[in-house]
Amino acid sequence: MVSRLGRIAIETVRAISGVIKLFLEILYWIIFGPFKGKFPHRQSIFYQMVFVGLRSVLIVFFVTLFTGIVLAMQSAYQLQKMGAVLYIASLVAISLCRELSPVLTALVVAGRVGSAFAAELGTMKVSEQIEALDTMAIDPVRFLAVPRFVALFFMLPCLTVLGNISGIFGGFLVGTNSLNINADLYMQTTYKYLELRDINSGLIKSFVFAIIIALIGCYEGLNTKGGAEGVGKATTKSVVVSFILIILADCLLTAIFYFSKV
Amino acid sequence: MSQKQEVVISLKNVSKSFQGKKIINDVSFDIISGETFVIMGCSGSGKSTLLRLMTGAIRPDKGNIFIKGKDISRISSEELDEVKKGFGMLFQYSALLDSLTVEENIALPLKEHTKLADDIIKIIIKMKLSLVGLKGYEKHYPSQISGGMRKRVGLARAIALDPDIVFYDEPTSGLDPVVGGVIDKLVKDLSSKLLITSVVVTHDMQSVFNIADRVAMIHKGELVGLGTADEIKASANPYIQQFINGRPEGPIDFFKEDIGIIEALGL
Repeated sequence: MVSRLGRIAIETVRAISGVIKLFLEILYWIIFGPFKGKFPHRQSIFYQMVFVGLRSVLIVFFVTLFTGIVLAMQSAYQLQKMGAVLYIASLVAISLCRELSPVLTALVVAGRVGSAFAAELGTMKVSEQIEALDTMAIDPVRFLAVPRFVALFFMLPCLTVLGNISGIFGGFLVGTNSLNINADLYMQTTYKYLELRDINSGLIKSFVFAIIIALIGCYEGLNTKGGAEGVGKATTKSVVVSFILIILADCLLTAIFYFSKV
Repeated sequence: MSQKQEVVISLKNVSKSFQGKKIINDVSFDIISGETFVIMGCSGSGKSTLLRLMTGAIRPDKGNIFIKGKDISRISSEELDEVKKGFGMLFQYSALLDSLTVEENIALPLKEHTKLADDIIKIIIKMKLSLVGLKGYEKHYPSQISGGMRKRVGLARAIALDPDIVFYDEPTSGLDPVVGGVIDKLVKDLSSKLLITSVVVTHDMQSVFNIADRVAMIHKGELVGLGTADEIKASANPYIQQFINGRPEGPIDFFKEDIGIIEALGL
Protein backbone atom coordinates (compact mmCIF):
# COMPACT_ATOMS: atom_id res chain seq x y z
CA MET A 1 0.00 0.00 0.00
CA VAL A 2 2.65 2.47 1.12
CA SER A 3 4.95 1.45 -1.70
CA ARG A 4 2.09 1.87 -4.18
CA LEU A 5 1.38 5.37 -2.90
CA GLY A 6 5.08 6.10 -3.12
CA ARG A 7 5.20 4.91 -6.70
CA ILE A 8 2.18 7.03 -7.63
CA ALA A 9 3.82 10.05 -5.99
CA ILE A 10 7.06 9.47 -7.89
CA GLU A 11 5.17 9.04 -11.17
CA THR A 12 3.22 12.25 -10.56
CA VAL A 13 6.32 14.25 -9.75
CA ARG A 14 8.04 12.84 -12.83
CA ALA A 15 5.06 13.71 -15.04
CA ILE A 16 4.81 17.25 -13.67
CA SER A 17 8.51 17.88 -14.16
CA GLY A 18 8.26 16.37 -17.65
CA VAL A 19 5.40 18.69 -18.59
CA ILE A 20 7.25 21.72 -17.23
CA LYS A 21 10.38 20.70 -19.13
CA LEU A 22 8.34 20.34 -22.32
CA PHE A 23 6.81 23.79 -21.73
CA LEU A 24 10.24 25.37 -21.27
CA GLU A 25 11.57 23.61 -24.37
CA ILE A 26 8.63 24.86 -26.43
CA LEU A 27 9.14 28.42 -25.13
CA TYR A 28 12.85 28.11 -25.86
CA TRP A 29 12.20 27.17 -29.50
CA ILE A 30 9.58 29.89 -29.94
CA ILE A 31 11.68 32.65 -28.38
CA PHE A 32 15.30 31.68 -29.12
CA GLY A 33 14.81 29.38 -32.12
CA PRO A 34 14.55 32.23 -34.66
CA PHE A 35 17.92 33.62 -33.48
CA LYS A 36 19.50 30.29 -34.39
CA GLY A 37 17.83 30.36 -37.79
CA LYS A 38 15.37 27.67 -36.67
CA PHE A 39 11.96 29.20 -37.26
CA PRO A 40 8.84 27.32 -36.30
CA HIS A 41 7.38 25.65 -39.37
CA ARG A 42 4.89 28.10 -40.80
CA GLN A 43 3.32 25.47 -43.01
CA SER A 44 2.67 23.03 -40.20
CA ILE A 45 1.43 25.82 -37.91
CA PHE A 46 -1.20 26.73 -40.52
CA TYR A 47 -2.05 23.09 -41.05
CA GLN A 48 -2.56 22.64 -37.31
CA MET A 49 -4.54 25.89 -37.10
CA VAL A 50 -6.97 24.56 -39.67
CA PHE A 51 -7.22 21.27 -37.82
CA VAL A 52 -7.52 22.84 -34.36
CA GLY A 53 -9.59 25.88 -35.24
CA LEU A 54 -11.54 25.61 -38.42
CA ARG A 55 -12.49 21.97 -37.99
CA SER A 56 -13.75 22.63 -34.45
CA VAL A 57 -16.03 25.51 -35.43
CA LEU A 58 -19.15 23.45 -35.96
CA ILE A 59 -18.96 21.45 -32.74
CA VAL A 60 -18.12 24.54 -30.65
CA PHE A 61 -20.98 26.41 -32.32
CA PHE A 62 -23.55 23.74 -31.48
CA VAL A 63 -22.34 23.05 -27.96
CA THR A 64 -22.43 26.70 -26.93
CA LEU A 65 -25.64 27.43 -28.86
CA PHE A 66 -27.52 24.75 -26.96
CA THR A 67 -25.88 25.78 -23.70
CA GLY A 68 -27.16 29.32 -24.32
CA ILE A 69 -30.66 27.98 -25.00
CA VAL A 70 -30.66 25.77 -21.90
CA LEU A 71 -29.25 28.55 -19.73
CA ALA A 72 -31.97 30.95 -20.90
CA MET A 73 -34.77 28.46 -20.24
CA GLN A 74 -33.47 27.41 -16.85
CA SER A 75 -33.06 30.97 -15.64
CA ALA A 76 -36.45 31.96 -17.08
CA TYR A 77 -37.94 29.33 -14.79
CA GLN A 78 -36.64 31.24 -11.77
CA LEU A 79 -36.72 34.81 -13.04
CA GLN A 80 -40.33 34.55 -14.22
CA LYS A 81 -41.39 34.19 -10.59
CA MET A 82 -39.79 37.54 -9.83
CA GLY A 83 -40.96 39.19 -13.00
CA ALA A 84 -37.38 39.79 -14.08
CA VAL A 85 -37.42 37.86 -17.32
CA LEU A 86 -35.68 40.69 -19.16
CA TYR A 87 -32.51 40.09 -17.16
CA ILE A 88 -32.09 36.74 -18.85
CA ALA A 89 -30.21 38.64 -21.55
CA SER A 90 -27.47 39.87 -19.25
CA LEU A 91 -27.40 36.69 -17.21
CA VAL A 92 -26.87 34.52 -20.26
CA ALA A 93 -24.26 36.84 -21.77
CA ILE A 94 -22.21 37.28 -18.62
CA SER A 95 -22.23 33.68 -17.49
CA LEU A 96 -21.33 32.54 -20.98
CA CYS A 97 -18.49 34.99 -21.55
CA ARG A 98 -16.98 34.67 -18.08
CA GLU A 99 -17.40 30.99 -17.56
CA LEU A 100 -19.30 28.60 -19.76
CA SER A 101 -18.00 29.42 -23.19
CA PRO A 102 -14.27 29.26 -22.31
CA VAL A 103 -14.67 26.09 -20.25
CA LEU A 104 -16.98 24.24 -22.62
CA THR A 105 -14.92 25.19 -25.66
CA ALA A 106 -11.77 24.02 -23.88
CA LEU A 107 -13.38 20.71 -22.91
CA VAL A 108 -14.62 20.12 -26.44
CA VAL A 109 -11.21 20.96 -27.89
CA ALA A 110 -9.42 18.82 -25.28
CA GLY A 111 -11.60 15.90 -26.35
CA ARG A 112 -11.19 16.50 -30.03
CA VAL A 113 -7.74 18.01 -30.46
CA GLY A 114 -5.77 17.09 -27.32
CA SER A 115 -6.61 13.44 -27.84
CA ALA A 116 -5.63 13.67 -31.50
CA PHE A 117 -2.25 15.18 -30.52
CA ALA A 118 -1.64 12.33 -28.08
CA ALA A 119 -2.73 9.66 -30.55
CA GLU A 120 -0.75 11.06 -33.46
CA LEU A 121 2.47 11.69 -31.55
CA GLY A 122 2.03 8.41 -29.66
CA THR A 123 1.79 6.47 -32.90
CA MET A 124 4.87 8.27 -34.17
CA LYS A 125 6.68 7.39 -30.96
CA VAL A 126 5.91 3.66 -31.06
CA SER A 127 6.67 3.37 -34.79
CA GLU A 128 10.17 4.86 -34.33
CA GLN A 129 9.28 8.06 -36.21
CA ILE A 130 10.25 10.27 -33.26
CA GLU A 131 13.55 8.45 -32.95
CA ALA A 132 14.08 8.85 -36.69
CA LEU A 133 13.63 12.62 -36.37
CA ASP A 134 16.09 12.63 -33.52
CA THR A 135 18.61 10.63 -35.54
CA MET A 136 18.26 13.15 -38.37
CA ALA A 137 19.18 15.85 -35.81
CA ILE A 138 15.67 17.30 -36.01
CA ASP A 139 14.37 18.16 -32.56
CA PRO A 140 10.96 16.45 -32.14
CA VAL A 141 9.76 19.18 -29.77
CA ARG A 142 10.52 21.91 -32.29
CA PHE A 143 9.23 19.93 -35.24
CA LEU A 144 6.05 18.46 -33.71
CA ALA A 145 5.11 20.13 -30.43
CA VAL A 146 5.79 23.79 -31.26
CA PRO A 147 3.39 24.05 -34.26
CA ARG A 148 0.63 22.34 -32.27
CA PHE A 149 1.20 24.56 -29.27
CA VAL A 150 1.22 27.78 -31.30
CA ALA A 151 -1.84 26.77 -33.30
CA LEU A 152 -3.86 25.90 -30.22
CA PHE A 153 -2.70 28.99 -28.31
CA PHE A 154 -4.13 31.26 -30.99
CA MET A 155 -7.13 29.23 -32.08
CA LEU A 156 -8.71 28.36 -28.73
CA PRO A 157 -9.43 32.02 -27.82
CA CYS A 158 -10.87 32.50 -31.31
CA LEU A 159 -13.15 29.53 -30.77
CA THR A 160 -14.09 30.95 -27.37
CA VAL A 161 -15.19 34.23 -28.98
CA LEU A 162 -17.24 32.21 -31.43
CA GLY A 163 -18.71 30.32 -28.46
CA ASN A 164 -19.62 33.61 -26.76
CA ILE A 165 -21.47 34.79 -29.84
CA SER A 166 -23.31 31.56 -30.54
CA GLY A 167 -24.24 31.13 -26.86
CA ILE A 168 -25.67 34.64 -26.69
CA PHE A 169 -27.50 33.86 -29.91
CA GLY A 170 -29.00 30.76 -28.25
CA GLY A 171 -30.26 32.86 -25.36
CA PHE A 172 -31.57 35.40 -27.83
CA LEU A 173 -33.61 32.72 -29.62
CA VAL A 174 -35.29 31.65 -26.38
CA GLY A 175 -35.80 35.21 -25.17
CA THR A 176 -37.36 36.56 -28.33
CA ASN A 177 -39.38 33.51 -29.34
CA SER A 178 -40.78 31.86 -26.25
CA LEU A 179 -40.43 34.63 -23.66
CA ASN A 180 -41.63 37.37 -26.01
CA ILE A 181 -38.89 39.84 -25.23
CA ASN A 182 -38.45 42.44 -27.92
CA ALA A 183 -35.33 41.69 -29.97
CA ASP A 184 -33.92 45.21 -29.69
CA LEU A 185 -34.56 45.29 -25.98
CA TYR A 186 -32.84 41.92 -25.56
CA MET A 187 -29.70 43.10 -27.32
CA GLN A 188 -29.73 46.43 -25.50
CA THR A 189 -29.88 44.68 -22.14
CA THR A 190 -27.04 42.43 -23.22
CA TYR A 191 -24.84 45.39 -24.20
CA LYS A 192 -25.74 47.35 -21.12
CA TYR A 193 -24.61 44.77 -18.61
CA LEU A 194 -21.90 42.91 -20.46
CA GLU A 195 -18.57 44.63 -19.93
CA LEU A 196 -15.29 44.20 -21.72
CA ARG A 197 -13.67 42.79 -18.58
CA ASP A 198 -16.18 39.91 -18.64
CA ILE A 199 -15.03 38.96 -22.10
CA ASN A 200 -11.37 39.51 -21.24
CA SER A 201 -11.46 37.32 -18.17
CA GLY A 202 -12.95 34.54 -20.30
CA LEU A 203 -10.26 34.99 -22.92
CA ILE A 204 -7.46 34.91 -20.34
CA LYS A 205 -8.89 31.61 -19.15
CA SER A 206 -8.93 30.24 -22.66
CA PHE A 207 -5.25 31.09 -23.20
CA VAL A 208 -4.41 29.14 -20.05
CA PHE A 209 -6.62 26.23 -21.16
CA ALA A 210 -4.90 26.19 -24.54
CA ILE A 211 -1.52 25.83 -22.84
CA ILE A 212 -2.87 22.97 -20.71
CA ILE A 213 -4.41 21.07 -23.63
CA ALA A 214 -1.38 21.42 -25.90
CA LEU A 215 1.13 20.49 -23.21
CA ILE A 216 -0.78 17.46 -21.92
CA GLY A 217 -1.58 16.18 -25.42
CA CYS A 218 2.01 16.52 -26.63
CA TYR A 219 3.54 15.22 -23.39
CA GLU A 220 1.39 12.10 -23.34
CA GLY A 221 2.07 11.51 -27.03
CA LEU A 222 5.82 11.97 -26.84
CA ASN A 223 6.05 9.70 -23.79
CA THR A 224 3.96 6.84 -25.13
CA LYS A 225 5.32 3.37 -24.45
CA GLY A 226 4.42 -0.06 -25.67
CA GLY A 227 2.59 -0.33 -28.98
CA ALA A 228 -1.07 0.12 -29.82
CA GLU A 229 -2.21 -0.32 -26.25
CA GLY A 230 0.19 2.40 -25.15
CA VAL A 231 -1.25 4.79 -27.75
CA GLY A 232 -4.75 4.08 -26.46
CA LYS A 233 -3.69 4.69 -22.88
CA ALA A 234 -1.90 7.92 -23.78
CA THR A 235 -4.95 9.20 -25.63
CA THR A 236 -7.33 8.44 -22.77
CA LYS A 237 -4.94 9.85 -20.22
CA SER A 238 -4.47 13.07 -22.16
CA VAL A 239 -8.22 13.69 -22.17
CA VAL A 240 -8.74 12.79 -18.51
CA VAL A 241 -5.78 14.83 -17.27
CA SER A 242 -6.69 17.81 -19.48
CA PHE A 243 -10.29 17.79 -18.21
CA ILE A 244 -9.22 17.76 -14.58
CA LEU A 245 -6.59 20.43 -15.09
CA ILE A 246 -8.97 22.65 -17.07
CA ILE A 247 -11.57 22.58 -14.29
CA LEU A 248 -8.88 23.08 -11.66
CA ALA A 249 -7.38 26.03 -13.53
CA ASP A 250 -10.85 27.44 -14.06
CA CYS A 251 -11.50 27.28 -10.34
CA LEU A 252 -8.22 29.01 -9.50
CA LEU A 253 -8.59 31.69 -12.17
CA THR A 254 -12.18 32.43 -11.19
CA ALA A 255 -11.06 32.85 -7.60
CA ILE A 256 -8.26 35.18 -8.69
CA PHE A 257 -10.61 37.25 -10.86
CA TYR A 258 -13.25 37.33 -8.14
CA PHE A 259 -10.97 38.46 -5.36
CA SER A 260 -9.03 40.90 -7.49
CA LYS A 261 -12.34 42.27 -8.82
CA VAL A 262 -11.41 41.83 -12.46
CA MET B 1 37.19 -2.18 -48.55
CA SER B 2 38.56 1.26 -49.23
CA GLN B 3 42.16 2.17 -49.82
CA LYS B 4 42.73 4.13 -46.62
CA GLN B 5 42.46 2.14 -43.43
CA GLU B 6 41.01 4.93 -41.36
CA VAL B 7 39.00 4.14 -38.23
CA VAL B 8 35.66 5.99 -38.40
CA ILE B 9 33.81 4.44 -35.49
CA SER B 10 35.52 3.23 -32.38
CA LEU B 11 33.97 1.73 -29.26
CA LYS B 12 36.11 1.49 -26.15
CA ASN B 13 34.92 -0.58 -23.18
CA VAL B 14 31.31 0.47 -23.63
CA SER B 15 28.78 -0.65 -20.99
CA LYS B 16 25.10 0.16 -20.64
CA SER B 17 22.50 -0.95 -18.10
CA PHE B 18 18.76 -0.51 -18.00
CA GLN B 19 17.06 -0.70 -14.61
CA GLY B 20 20.05 -2.44 -13.09
CA LYS B 21 20.25 -5.03 -15.85
CA LYS B 22 23.41 -5.02 -17.91
CA ILE B 23 22.52 -4.94 -21.59
CA ILE B 24 25.94 -4.09 -23.01
CA ASN B 25 29.00 -5.26 -21.13
CA ASP B 26 32.46 -3.91 -21.92
CA VAL B 27 32.31 -3.98 -25.71
CA SER B 28 35.18 -2.62 -27.80
CA PHE B 29 35.77 -2.66 -31.55
CA ASP B 30 36.80 -0.39 -34.42
CA ILE B 31 35.02 0.10 -37.72
CA ILE B 32 37.16 1.05 -40.68
CA SER B 33 36.22 3.59 -43.35
CA GLY B 34 34.39 2.07 -46.32
CA GLU B 35 33.78 -1.37 -44.88
CA THR B 36 30.48 -3.11 -44.28
CA PHE B 37 30.46 -4.12 -40.66
CA VAL B 38 27.75 -6.52 -39.53
CA ILE B 39 26.70 -6.97 -35.93
CA MET B 40 24.81 -10.21 -35.45
CA GLY B 41 23.24 -11.86 -32.46
CA CYS B 42 20.01 -13.34 -31.12
CA SER B 43 16.98 -11.26 -30.21
CA GLY B 44 17.70 -9.65 -26.89
CA SER B 45 21.47 -9.97 -27.24
CA GLY B 46 21.88 -6.19 -27.07
CA LYS B 47 22.71 -5.56 -30.71
CA SER B 48 19.98 -2.95 -31.20
CA THR B 49 21.08 -1.22 -28.01
CA LEU B 50 24.59 -1.20 -29.40
CA LEU B 51 23.30 0.49 -32.55
CA ARG B 52 21.40 3.08 -30.52
CA LEU B 53 24.58 3.80 -28.59
CA MET B 54 26.46 4.38 -31.83
CA THR B 55 23.79 6.72 -33.21
CA GLY B 56 23.77 8.75 -30.01
CA ALA B 57 20.13 7.95 -29.18
CA ILE B 58 21.31 6.74 -25.77
CA ARG B 59 24.55 7.42 -23.94
CA PRO B 60 26.73 4.71 -22.41
CA ASP B 61 27.16 4.35 -18.64
CA LYS B 62 30.83 3.58 -19.07
CA GLY B 63 33.31 3.75 -21.91
CA ASN B 64 33.67 5.95 -24.97
CA ILE B 65 32.26 5.94 -28.47
CA PHE B 66 34.20 7.84 -31.11
CA ILE B 67 32.66 8.76 -34.44
CA LYS B 68 35.19 10.33 -36.77
CA GLY B 69 37.30 11.17 -33.77
CA LYS B 70 34.54 12.79 -31.73
CA ASP B 71 33.56 11.17 -28.44
CA ILE B 72 29.78 11.19 -28.78
CA SER B 73 29.29 9.89 -25.26
CA ARG B 74 30.70 13.09 -23.78
CA ILE B 75 29.79 15.94 -26.15
CA SER B 76 26.92 18.42 -25.79
CA SER B 77 23.67 17.78 -27.63
CA GLU B 78 24.44 20.61 -30.10
CA GLU B 79 27.73 18.96 -31.03
CA LEU B 80 25.97 15.61 -31.18
CA ASP B 81 23.50 17.10 -33.68
CA GLU B 82 26.44 18.04 -35.90
CA VAL B 83 27.75 14.46 -35.73
CA LYS B 84 24.24 13.14 -36.50
CA LYS B 85 24.12 15.16 -39.73
CA GLY B 86 27.15 13.15 -40.87
CA PHE B 87 25.39 9.79 -40.80
CA GLY B 88 22.15 8.25 -41.99
CA MET B 89 20.08 5.51 -40.48
CA LEU B 90 17.66 2.98 -41.92
CA PHE B 91 15.15 1.87 -39.29
CA GLN B 92 13.73 -1.59 -38.89
CA TYR B 93 10.23 -0.44 -39.86
CA SER B 94 11.55 2.40 -42.07
CA ALA B 95 10.12 5.05 -39.69
CA LEU B 96 8.95 7.29 -42.52
CA LEU B 97 6.70 10.13 -41.38
CA ASP B 98 3.15 8.99 -42.26
CA SER B 99 1.88 12.50 -42.80
CA LEU B 100 4.43 13.31 -45.50
CA THR B 101 4.77 12.01 -49.05
CA VAL B 102 7.80 10.03 -50.18
CA GLU B 103 9.23 13.21 -51.67
CA GLU B 104 8.66 15.26 -48.50
CA ASN B 105 10.19 12.54 -46.37
CA ILE B 106 13.41 12.61 -48.35
CA ALA B 107 13.35 16.41 -48.50
CA LEU B 108 13.05 16.68 -44.73
CA PRO B 109 16.74 16.47 -43.75
CA LEU B 110 17.66 18.61 -46.77
CA LYS B 111 15.21 21.35 -45.85
CA GLU B 112 16.17 21.22 -42.19
CA HIS B 113 19.92 21.23 -42.51
CA THR B 114 20.76 22.92 -45.80
CA LYS B 115 19.84 26.18 -47.49
CA LEU B 116 19.38 24.55 -50.89
CA ALA B 117 16.75 25.97 -53.23
CA ASP B 118 13.60 23.93 -53.76
CA ASP B 119 14.41 22.99 -57.36
CA ILE B 120 17.84 21.70 -56.32
CA ILE B 121 16.18 19.65 -53.59
CA LYS B 122 13.79 18.25 -56.21
CA ILE B 123 16.77 17.13 -58.30
CA ILE B 124 18.45 15.52 -55.27
CA ILE B 125 15.23 13.66 -54.45
CA LYS B 126 15.01 12.36 -58.02
CA MET B 127 18.63 11.24 -57.83
CA LYS B 128 18.24 9.44 -54.51
CA LEU B 129 15.02 7.78 -55.59
CA SER B 130 16.54 6.48 -58.80
CA LEU B 131 19.48 5.19 -56.76
CA VAL B 132 17.06 2.97 -54.83
CA GLY B 133 15.00 2.23 -57.94
CA LEU B 134 11.84 4.09 -56.99
CA LYS B 135 11.59 6.86 -59.57
CA GLY B 136 8.03 8.06 -60.05
CA TYR B 137 6.86 7.39 -56.51
CA GLU B 138 7.43 10.96 -55.30
CA LYS B 139 3.81 11.78 -54.60
CA HIS B 140 2.89 8.53 -52.84
CA TYR B 141 2.29 8.37 -49.12
CA PRO B 142 4.13 5.70 -47.07
CA SER B 143 0.84 3.88 -46.48
CA GLN B 144 0.33 3.51 -50.23
CA ILE B 145 3.53 1.57 -50.93
CA SER B 146 4.75 -1.88 -49.88
CA GLY B 147 7.07 -2.66 -46.98
CA GLY B 148 10.04 -3.25 -49.26
CA MET B 149 9.45 0.07 -51.01
CA ARG B 150 9.18 1.84 -47.67
CA LYS B 151 12.56 0.40 -46.71
CA ARG B 152 14.03 1.74 -49.93
CA VAL B 153 12.50 5.16 -49.35
CA GLY B 154 13.94 5.02 -45.83
CA LEU B 155 17.29 4.29 -47.40
CA ALA B 156 16.92 7.20 -49.81
CA ARG B 157 16.16 9.44 -46.84
CA ALA B 158 19.14 8.06 -44.92
CA ILE B 159 21.49 9.02 -47.76
CA ALA B 160 19.81 12.35 -48.57
CA LEU B 161 22.56 14.39 -46.94
CA ASP B 162 25.33 12.29 -48.55
CA PRO B 163 26.54 10.81 -45.28
CA ASP B 164 29.73 8.78 -45.10
CA ILE B 165 28.28 6.38 -42.53
CA VAL B 166 24.92 4.59 -42.76
CA PHE B 167 23.47 2.48 -39.94
CA TYR B 168 21.01 -0.27 -40.80
CA ASP B 169 18.71 -1.77 -38.19
CA GLU B 170 17.57 -5.20 -39.43
CA PRO B 171 17.38 -4.08 -43.08
CA THR B 172 15.92 -7.35 -44.36
CA SER B 173 13.58 -8.32 -41.54
CA GLY B 174 9.96 -8.73 -42.55
CA LEU B 175 10.76 -8.81 -46.26
CA ASP B 176 10.47 -11.68 -48.71
CA PRO B 177 13.81 -13.24 -49.82
CA VAL B 178 13.82 -11.44 -53.17
CA VAL B 179 13.19 -7.98 -51.73
CA GLY B 180 15.66 -8.85 -48.98
CA GLY B 181 18.19 -9.62 -51.68
CA VAL B 182 17.42 -6.28 -53.36
CA ILE B 183 18.08 -4.45 -50.10
CA ASP B 184 21.32 -6.39 -49.62
CA LYS B 185 22.41 -5.40 -53.10
CA LEU B 186 21.59 -1.76 -52.37
CA VAL B 187 23.65 -1.88 -49.20
CA LYS B 188 26.57 -3.34 -51.14
CA ASP B 189 26.16 -0.86 -54.00
CA LEU B 190 26.09 2.10 -51.66
CA SER B 191 29.29 1.08 -50.00
CA SER B 192 31.07 0.29 -53.26
CA LYS B 193 29.73 3.19 -55.38
CA LEU B 194 29.51 5.93 -52.78
CA LEU B 195 32.25 4.58 -50.46
CA ILE B 196 29.85 4.66 -47.53
CA THR B 197 30.80 2.91 -44.31
CA SER B 198 27.91 0.60 -43.44
CA VAL B 199 27.05 -0.72 -40.00
CA VAL B 200 24.38 -3.40 -40.21
CA VAL B 201 22.57 -5.03 -37.30
CA THR B 202 20.86 -8.23 -38.35
CA HIS B 203 20.16 -11.85 -37.55
CA ASP B 204 19.47 -12.80 -41.16
CA MET B 205 22.39 -15.17 -41.89
CA GLN B 206 21.97 -15.09 -45.66
CA SER B 207 22.20 -11.34 -45.59
CA VAL B 208 25.23 -11.40 -43.29
CA PHE B 209 27.42 -13.37 -45.69
CA ASN B 210 26.05 -11.50 -48.71
CA ILE B 211 27.17 -8.09 -47.57
CA ALA B 212 29.66 -8.34 -44.74
CA ASP B 213 33.30 -7.40 -44.90
CA ARG B 214 33.63 -8.03 -41.19
CA VAL B 215 31.26 -9.54 -38.66
CA ALA B 216 30.91 -9.11 -34.92
CA MET B 217 28.85 -11.53 -32.87
CA ILE B 218 27.13 -10.25 -29.72
CA HIS B 219 25.75 -12.53 -27.05
CA LYS B 220 24.23 -11.32 -23.78
CA GLY B 221 25.75 -7.91 -24.30
CA GLU B 222 29.26 -9.21 -24.82
CA LEU B 223 31.39 -9.50 -27.91
CA VAL B 224 31.94 -13.23 -28.47
CA GLY B 225 33.48 -13.13 -31.94
CA LEU B 226 34.93 -10.68 -34.45
CA GLY B 227 36.49 -11.29 -37.83
CA THR B 228 36.07 -11.20 -41.60
CA ALA B 229 33.08 -13.00 -43.05
CA ASP B 230 35.22 -16.00 -44.01
CA GLU B 231 36.91 -16.16 -40.63
CA ILE B 232 33.52 -16.16 -38.93
CA LYS B 233 32.25 -18.89 -41.22
CA ALA B 234 35.27 -21.04 -40.41
CA SER B 235 35.35 -20.12 -36.74
CA ALA B 236 35.39 -22.91 -34.18
CA ASN B 237 33.67 -20.68 -31.62
CA PRO B 238 30.66 -22.70 -30.42
CA TYR B 239 28.46 -19.59 -30.08
CA ILE B 240 29.12 -18.56 -33.66
CA GLN B 241 28.65 -22.07 -35.03
CA GLN B 242 25.37 -22.50 -33.20
CA PHE B 243 24.15 -19.12 -34.39
CA ILE B 244 25.05 -19.38 -38.07
CA ASN B 245 23.69 -22.91 -38.29
CA GLY B 246 20.58 -22.08 -36.27
CA ARG B 247 20.90 -25.05 -33.94
CA PRO B 248 18.61 -25.11 -30.90
CA GLU B 249 21.23 -26.88 -28.74
CA GLY B 250 24.50 -25.31 -27.77
CA PRO B 251 26.00 -22.65 -25.52
CA ILE B 252 23.24 -20.19 -26.42
CA ASP B 253 20.49 -21.70 -24.30
CA PHE B 254 17.27 -20.01 -25.18
CA PHE B 255 15.15 -21.60 -22.52
CA LYS B 256 17.32 -20.79 -19.56
CA GLU B 257 18.29 -17.38 -20.77
CA ASP B 258 16.00 -14.53 -19.85
CA ILE B 259 15.60 -12.51 -23.01
CA GLY B 260 16.37 -8.84 -22.42
CA ILE B 261 12.99 -7.35 -21.62
CA ILE B 262 14.13 -3.89 -22.57
CA GLU B 263 15.22 -5.15 -25.96
CA ALA B 264 12.04 -7.17 -26.44
CA LEU B 265 9.98 -4.05 -25.80
CA GLY B 266 12.14 -2.09 -28.19
CA LEU B 267 13.19 0.43 -25.54
